[in-house]
Amino acid sequence: MPVLRFDAVSKTYTGPHNALNDISFSVDAGEMLFVTGHSGAGKSTLLKLIHLSERATRGTVLVNDKNLAKVRGRQVALHRRQVGVVHQDHHLLMDRSVFDNVALPLLIEGVPSKEIGKRVRLVLEKVSLASKEKTRPSELSSGEQQRVGIARALIAQPLLLLADEPTGNLDPSLAAEIMGLLATLSAQGSSVIIASHDLALVKRMRKRVLVLSQGKLMDDIAPEELAP
Amino acid sequence: MSTTRTNNSGFGARLGAWRDQHIYSLLSSLGRIVSKPFSTFLIVGVMAIAMALPLALGMVLLNVQRVSGTVQAAREMSVFLKPEISIEQARALAKKCAERNDVEKVTVVSPDEGLAEFRKLSDLAQSVDLLGSNPLPSVLKIRPKDDGMALAEALKQWPEADVVQHDGQWRQRLNAWLSLGERMLKILSVLFGVGVLLVVGNTVRLDIGTRREEIAVMQQLGATDGFIRRPFLYLGFWYGLAAGALALGLSLAAGLALDERLRPLLASYDSRFELQGPDLMMVLALLASSAILGWLGAWLATGHHLRQTRPTDL
Repeated sequence: MPVLRFDAVSKTYTGPHNALNDISFSVDAGEMLFVTGHSGAGKSTLLKLIHLSERATRGTVLVNDKNLAKVRGRQVALHRRQVGVVHQDHHLLMDRSVFDNVALPLLIEGVPSKEIGKRVRLVLEKVSLASKEKTRPSELSSGEQQRVGIARALIAQPLLLLADEPTGNLDPSLAAEIMGLLATLSAQGSSVIIASHDLALVKRMRKRVLVLSQGKLMDDIAPEELAP
Repeated sequence: MSTTRTNNSGFGARLGAWRDQHIYSLLSSLGRIVSKPFSTFLIVGVMAIAMALPLALGMVLLNVQRVSGTVQAAREMSVFLKPEISIEQARALAKKCAERNDVEKVTVVSPDEGLAEFRKLSDLAQSVDLLGSNPLPSVLKIRPKDDGMALAEALKQWPEADVVQHDGQWRQRLNAWLSLGERMLKILSVLFGVGVLLVVGNTVRLDIGTRREEIAVMQQLGATDGFIRRPFLYLGFWYGLAAGALALGLSLAAGLALDERLRPLLASYDSRFELQGPDLMMVLALLASSAILGWLGAWLATGHHLRQTRPTDL
């Protein structure tokens, strides 16, 4: 059973501007895929629909077989707990320590404080930031900040992880490191959807690729179809 | 990593988590207040003054009501009979008066008893002696069962009565003033209460403005409105509580300052009256209501913000 399914989904903003037009695809558990296309192609809108920051104008978005059009009120918050998000500009709380930033999803979820400590340290080890738990994000490099963002997304053990240009500000070696982390997460069972316009990086990763252009799904490329 | 989410559904675990979330909100809100002492002082000061005004009026009314209670208790009236009415006639009139349904007790004060009392209370006793004879009439001291207004009117119609001394009208006026004061207190309390609500609401609104990004991040991570709102509610609660305590302090200080001048003034009238401050129940009620006002102001401000920012961008 797919974790995520788009059935003939369209999103129109006032203007009118068709950000997405009749998109259909599905994502299996543990699958990692890229959504690529030029600026304005609809990559971010697609992620917003999954995260319920926006609602589809037409069509159906199903997450774990649940129709997101029917998710309302408090259920929106509960849905978002299943969906981890990694941003290009990290969206970290600069007045809190690395530990506090990573612990935030667990605090929101209502995990007991003893368990929070254990889980935060475990995930910080995974992203090689165990020694920086008391450091403020502003004292970290951009790559380290991105790893904090990933650790925060990983800690709640999301069903789906959405990454919007996660390597946009990083040099190639750091970008590869971040992609490696996301691939590991996918191998461990979470579905990972990465929006990126970095075609070189997308080709290097050899994963499934959805190509968007002007809100339309132009191509759905399987990993084996990508040239080495 | 497994994608199986941790099960935190046990009652004990949920209770512990709920407690942890409240402790987190309580401490973080307290931390924000302590980290900005000057700003906190200004906000709490404005709120405290707004609360102190109706509180001070309440204290004034409380003390005036105490005095008025003493006056109300002294509802006895005096009927000064005409000088030609003998003591025997006075006693007969007293008996007739005591038979009325609205009379509780009648005492006859003879001219001799009146003079003796006058000698005790007045420095003019020697002047009275110069007159040669006792100029005082017989007096009936009557304690009515009710406010005595109807009785006083009836007694004035007696041909034997010279003067009927009764403070009923004065007491009615005092009651009217007290009632007006109470109404003013209620109006002022509502007005200043709304003022406190608006001050807290605006303060929390400004605080929300500086934490807009933090709120957006929390919303993206799946925080419910309740979770986001909680630290602000505690913030409002602390502001309200601190303002209530300061208002109480200001009112007590004002009371002490007045008492210093009032004591010698009252002593000159041989009065044992003392200014009374609020009792424990009043103090607790004030602190509770100010904390609730602060909480409510914060609730309104956060509710407005949350409604405006739903849904947030990714």
